[in-house]
Amino acid sequence: MDQNNNLPPYAQGLAFPQGAMTPGIPILSLMMPYGTGLTPQPIQSTKSLSILEEQQRQQQQQQQQQQAAVAAVQQSTSQQAAQGASGQTPQLFHSQTLTTAPLLGTTPLYPSPMTPITPATPASESSGIVPQLQNIVSTVNLGCKLDLKTTALHAGNAEYNPKRFAAVIMRIRESRTTALIFSSGKMVCTGAKSEEQSRLAARKYARIVQKLGVPAQFLDFKIQNMVGSSDVKFPIRLEGFALTHQQFSSYEPELFPGLIYRMIKPRIVLLIFVSGKVILTGAKVRAEIYEAFENIYPILKGFRKTT
Amino acid sequence: MNNTAASPMSTATSSSGRSTGKSVSFAAELQSMMFSLGDSRRPLHETAVLVEDVVHTQLINLLQQAAEVSQLRGARVISAEDLLFLIRKDKKKLRRLLKYMFFRDYKSKIVKGIDEDDLLEDKLSGSNNANKRQKIAQDFLNSIDQTGELLAMFEDDEIDEVKQERMERAERQTRIMDSAQYAEFCESRQLSFSKKASKFRDWLDCSSLEIKPNVVAMEILAYLAYETVAQLVDLALLVRQDMVTKAGDPFSHAISATFIQYHSSAESTAACGGEAHSDAIQPCHIREAVRRYSHKIGPLSPFTSAYRRNGMAFLAC
Repeated sequence: MDQNNNLPPYAQGLAFPQGAMTPGIPILSLMMPYGTGLTPQPIQSTKSLSILEEQQRQQQQQQQQQQAAVAAVQQSTSQQAAQGASGQTPQLFHSQTLTTAPLLGTTPLYPSPMTPITPATPASESSGIVPQLQNIVSTVNLGCKLDLKTTALHAGNAEYNPKRFAAVIMRIRESRTTALIFSSGKMVCTGAKSEEQSRLAARKYARIVQKLGVPAQFLDFKIQNMVGSSDVKFPIRLEGFALTHQQFSSYEPELFPGLIYRMIKPRIVLLIFVSGKVILTGAKVRAEIYEAFENIYPILKGFRKTT
Repeated sequence: MNNTAASPMSTATSSSGRSTGKSVSFAAELQSMMFSLGDSRRPLHETAVLVEDVVHTQLINLLQQAAEVSQLRGARVISAEDLLFLIRKDKKKLRRLLKYMFFRDYKSKIVKGIDEDDLLEDKLSGSNNANKRQKIAQDFLNSIDQTGELLAMFEDDEIDEVKQERMERAERQTRIMDSAQYAEFCESRQLSFSKKASKFRDWLDCSSLEIKPNVVAMEILAYLAYETVAQLVDLALLVRQDMVTKAGDPFSHAISATFIQYHSSAESTAACGGEAHSDAIQPCHIREAVRRYSHKIGPLSPFTSAYRRNGMAFLAC
């Protein structure tokens, strides 16, 4: 505590960032010793923050606002406490300072509904439409090196053209899936319509490889991408949509007839067409597709093309 | 027309094209394109023919200049770099072109992820096509950039005002349409020169050039052609607005263009009763637009001869 008092005022501000979680904070802390109490809000792009991070960031700002209003001695103690406390317990710290110093003003613990992370959705019932999964891409590690030539020779439904591509392409007709098997033992499985189907198909391919005498395992099965599609059953006026949601949409009908909408939370890309068909891609879990669709549905209703 | 007077060489090529009975004509497509860009429901055929002529002349000129640049480089084909070099002066247009190229990359990346056949094709072809155009643009601008302002354009996120205005105009247009009209409008919007690549190539007629453009350069040329049409429609609409004189309004020439648009459209639909004929862009509007665009107003303009221009004013760059 005494150490901190001996530091010149600007260094006290510089000492704070060690406990900070986001890189934008150090700029603010330089302002603290001058104690105006009006800490400027950092102009950070909120696009990449999740709600949890947003909460933590706001708590950080609250902490700084409080510290600016408190006397110098208290300032150094709070700095010490911040440095001592791990980044995981900001809430405890927050409640402590509430009792010792009055807040400048109440700040909400939860992000306001107008942050640009999620599109603003009016309160309404769910759409009643469930998107269908169309394609799942998954990867798995067979755990051993493979000789592609013998694999392709002995397995049915396999093609291997080393001049074109350094992998064996295997297909299973019943599940209509395709697998790319590389010599390193890694395999990519595409075409399945559900997570279970993808896993099952990947296991089948692994068993085919096993039957050829290779000690294949089934390590690190991971779903890399899920594609879903749905139909809202009404035409959509894309020009209006593109104008109001410029931040997230790209609409170039000369290049591609659909509007490309990049949703931040969840991180999904939606292709929206005039006919009302919506394609969602980029999901790692099924819930993300459902959530994205529920987010976009009310907005699409707002741009319904009525006769 | 003034633009042909400034470049006698191009007049020869375009008139010779016309005299051989140019079989390739984009007039019908141009009519649809102009409708999607803000013209009336049925654009005039004469206007489309005139626009086709202007665009063709400008593209031939652009190609010839690009060929010269290519020769300077000692290259065998006209590539994207040469076209980027010609556009380097106009920051806004360059930024728009870069955004277009990036969007093209991004779109192929996304569509690839959706269709699994495309995914396999991409893996088979070596999968280094991702962001190909972006890499080309970035490397090239890196090499010619002296002051750092060209590279700054990659991070630049300013709103493109022209694009904004076009979007707003489209939004206003579509708001009053019904479903059938809107479906037609959407189809027209999807028309572009890049969709009809082979017809575009024939129309451009590169046989007289020694150096031919490559695939990416052709994409950019198709985009520039579309931009030229869009620019012509923008300017012609402004000219048409200026021609409408308001009775008893001494400041009608000073009011901003967008303000007038709101009022005149309301009046014209009420007064004319939705007469499509009077709403269409006339060839005189296009000619006036081109004349105004090529007329450079600078400090010494009263003293310079209009014919001493060293090149024609490109609408696209």
